[in-house]
Amino acid sequence: MNKYKMCMIPAYPLENVQLLKDRVILPYVCYRAFGESLRLVTKSTGDYPYLSYLEGAELIPLPEDQSHMEEAVRYVSAHSEEIDLLFLFGARGEYMELAAAYRAARPDGLIYMKLDANIDWANAFPLYDNDFSAMLQSCDVISCEARHLQALLYKKWQRPVEYIPNGVYYPLYPEAETARYEEKENIILTVGRLGTAQKNTLLLLYAYALSFAELKEPWELVMIGSVTPEFQADYDDFCKRFPPLAPHIRLTGNIADKQALYQYYKRAKIFALTSRLEGGSPNVFSEAAIFGCTVITTGVDAADDMTDFGRVGRIVPDTEDFEGFSRALVSLCNNPDYLAHNFHDMRAYMREFFDYERLAERLHVLLELQSLKRRPS
Amino acid sequence: MTIKATDTTVILQEGTLRHTLLEKPEFPDYSNVTAMPHFTYYYTEGETIWDRLSLNMTRFVDFCRDDLYLGCYALILRRLYPLLLSDNRAKNLAAYGADTDCMAYRVIQDFMTFLHKGNALTALALSPFSLTAVSPGSCTAMLYRLDACPAPAAVCDAINRIKPGGLLLLYTIKQALPAELTALCTQAQKDNFGSCTLYTLTVDDALMDFARANGSESFILLRAAEITRRVNDLQNLIQAMLAGAALPGDAYFIAVTILQQTEEILLSLYDYLEDDGLPVRANALKESVLNYYVGVCRQCDLTSYREKLTQFSEIFFDAVGKEFPQ
Repeated sequence: MNKYKMCMIPAYPLENVQLLKDRVILPYVCYRAFGESLRLVTKSTGDYPYLSYLEGAELIPLPEDQSHMEEAVRYVSAHSEEIDLLFLFGARGEYMELAAAYRAARPDGLIYMKLDANIDWANAFPLYDNDFSAMLQSCDVISCEARHLQALLYKKWQRPVEYIPNGVYYPLYPEAETARYEEKENIILTVGRLGTAQKNTLLLLYAYALSFAELKEPWELVMIGSVTPEFQADYDDFCKRFPPLAPHIRLTGNIADKQALYQYYKRAKIFALTSRLEGGSPNVFSEAAIFGCTVITTGVDAADDMTDFGRVGRIVPDTEDFEGFSRALVSLCNNPDYLAHNFHDMRAYMREFFDYERLAERLHVLLELQSLKRRPS
Repeated sequence: MTIKATDTTVILQEGTLRHTLLEKPEFPDYSNVTAMPHFTYYYTEGETIWDRLSLNMTRFVDFCRDDLYLGCYALILRRLYPLLLSDNRAKNLAAYGADTDCMAYRVIQDFMTFLHKGNALTALALSPFSLTAVSPGSCTAMLYRLDACPAPAAVCDAINRIKPGGLLLLYTIKQALPAELTALCTQAQKDNFGSCTLYTLTVDDALMDFARANGSESFILLRAAEITRRVNDLQNLIQAMLAGAALPGDAYFIAVTILQQTEEILLSLYDYLEDDGLPVRANALKESVLNYYVGVCRQCDLTSYREKLTQFSEIFFDAVGKEFPQ
C-alpha cells in the first residue's frame, strides 16, 4: 500500500499540550503506520517540548504576517505537491477556504476530517451554506467519535461517516501495562474541570452521598482537577451538612504530573463520568479504562461505545438522575466479582477497539480505497 | 424585476432589459373551444380574460417582489396561458419544489379558477414521495422547480404524472443545468429573462418512454437488484471469514469495497428506504470486517472481532432481507 506525505493543520494555532491530544496523535500514529512524513503546520504559540514525544514529526511554524488560516491557505497552495494526505480537525468554517485550495491544487490528494463533534454541535452545522457543504464534499473520509452521532449524521448528510473513536496511543502509557487488579483500592475516581456546567460534578457528589449507607465496604471518592469557586462552596457546604462523609471525599486539585495522575488510575476501581455533554469519549475515559477502571457514565453521545453497550461499564442515561446514578454506583461497588473480571474485560476491549495503531490501520484501508477513486484513470 | 401590463401587452422588465411576455390576441382562437364559461368574458361587460391575466401578472410583483423566481412565474403563466385556454375542460395542475404556501401558486390558481371553477393547482410537499403519490398521467401540467430537486429520477417521476400532450415546466435561476438533464432540456422550448429560465417540454411517447426508464420506480428496482446481488456475494465471503477458511489476500478488500458500494447505493435510495438505518448498518459491518482484517494482520486473538462481525453481519443481512425481500 502507499506511503503518504501527511500534513495536519489545526483550525487555530496549536498549543504544546495539544500535541498529545487526538488532533495530533491520530495523524502521528497514521504517520508511523503508513506515512512518509508528517508536518504539523501552525502559527507558533510558544515552545513545544512535547514534540520530543513525536519522533519524526516536523513542526512548520507559519509566518506571523496574516491570520493563522490565511497563512495556512498560502502554505497549502505553495506546498500542495508535498501533501498527499491533509488532516483536518473539526467541521469548522475556518477550513472552507483551505479545503478548497488544497482540492484545487491536488485533485488526486486526500482529505481526512476528524469531526470532534457532539450531537448539539452537529445539529448546528450550517448545511445551507454552499461553501460549507462543498468543504464536506471535498473530504474523502470523515469520521466521528460516537456511534449515536454517526447515525444522526447519516440522516443529516446522507453520506458515509466512519466511526473512529478517540483512542489510545499505548506507547504514551507504559505504566498501564503494570496495572494489577490486586493493587486496586475501593476508590471512585473522577478527573476533569470540577464544577463546570459541562462536567456536572454535583451529580457524583450527591449520588455518592445517597449510596454511602448502602455500600458493603468503605469506598473513597477522589475528585481530581481544577475546582470552580462555585463547586468549592458547594463542597464545603456538603461537608458541613454530611460530616461523616467528609473524610471519605478528597479534592486533590489539578494534577499536572502525569505519573502522579496515573497512580490514581492504577489505584481506582471505578471511574465516574457525569458530563452533560462530551464530543466523543473524553481522554480521561481512555486513560482510566486502560488502567482497568470500570466506568460509570451518564448518557453522553459515546456512552454505548465506552461501555460496549453496558457490557464493560454502566450507563445512567439521564444526566440529572441522582438516584439512578447512586443505584448504579451501589450495584458496582457491591459487586467485587464483576469489578475484578471487568478489569481484564475493559482492558481487552480498549486494546481491541480503541488502540490508535489498530484504528490507523483501519483508516489506512479506507484511505487507500478513496485514493483509487481519486487516481486519474 | 417588474411586470407591466397594458391593454395589449404584458412586459417583463429589469433595468433596461424588456421582454414581451404576451400580446393580446386580436382575434381569439375559437378552434378548440367547445363550451363557454370563460370565453364569454371577452365580450361581456365584466372582467375579460385579458384583464384578469394582466391583473394576475401584476399580482406576481405585489406578492413575490423579493422572490428570486419572480421572472420564472411570469414565464410559466405565459406558457400556461394557451394550455389553459385550449379547451373548456377542468384541468389538474401540480407544482413541486417551492414551498406549498408559495404566493405565486395562489396567483396562478386565481387565474385558473377565473377560467374554470374546476381547475386546480396542487402544491406538492418537497419530498420524492409526494411525486410518486400522484396518479400517473393525471396532470395537465407540472410546474417543477429544478433547483429544489435536480435529481433526474425525480424529474422523470414528474413527467410520469403528466397526461400525454401535457406540459412539464422546469424552472431555475441557476445558470448551469445538472449534466444528466442537459440532453433532456435541449429538447425543450427555452425561455429566459435575467437569471430566470424556463424549459417547457410537451409530453409525447418518446418522453414518456424516457421517463419510465429513468424514473424512481425503475431506479429503485435496478438498485435493489444491485444490492441483492452484492449482499449475496458478501454473505459467502463473510461466512468464509467466520469459518476461518483460507482466503486470498485481497478478500477483505473485496468485502470492504462491496460494502462501500452497497452503502453508497443505499444512500442513493435513502429517501425511499423503509429502514433508514440500513446505510449505517452497512457501515458498521464494513467497520467490523476491517477490524477483523486488522486483527488477522496483527495476529491478535480474534474472538471479540469474530463476535462483532457475526453480530453486525446478522443485523445487516436481516435488515436487508426485510427491506428487499426476494
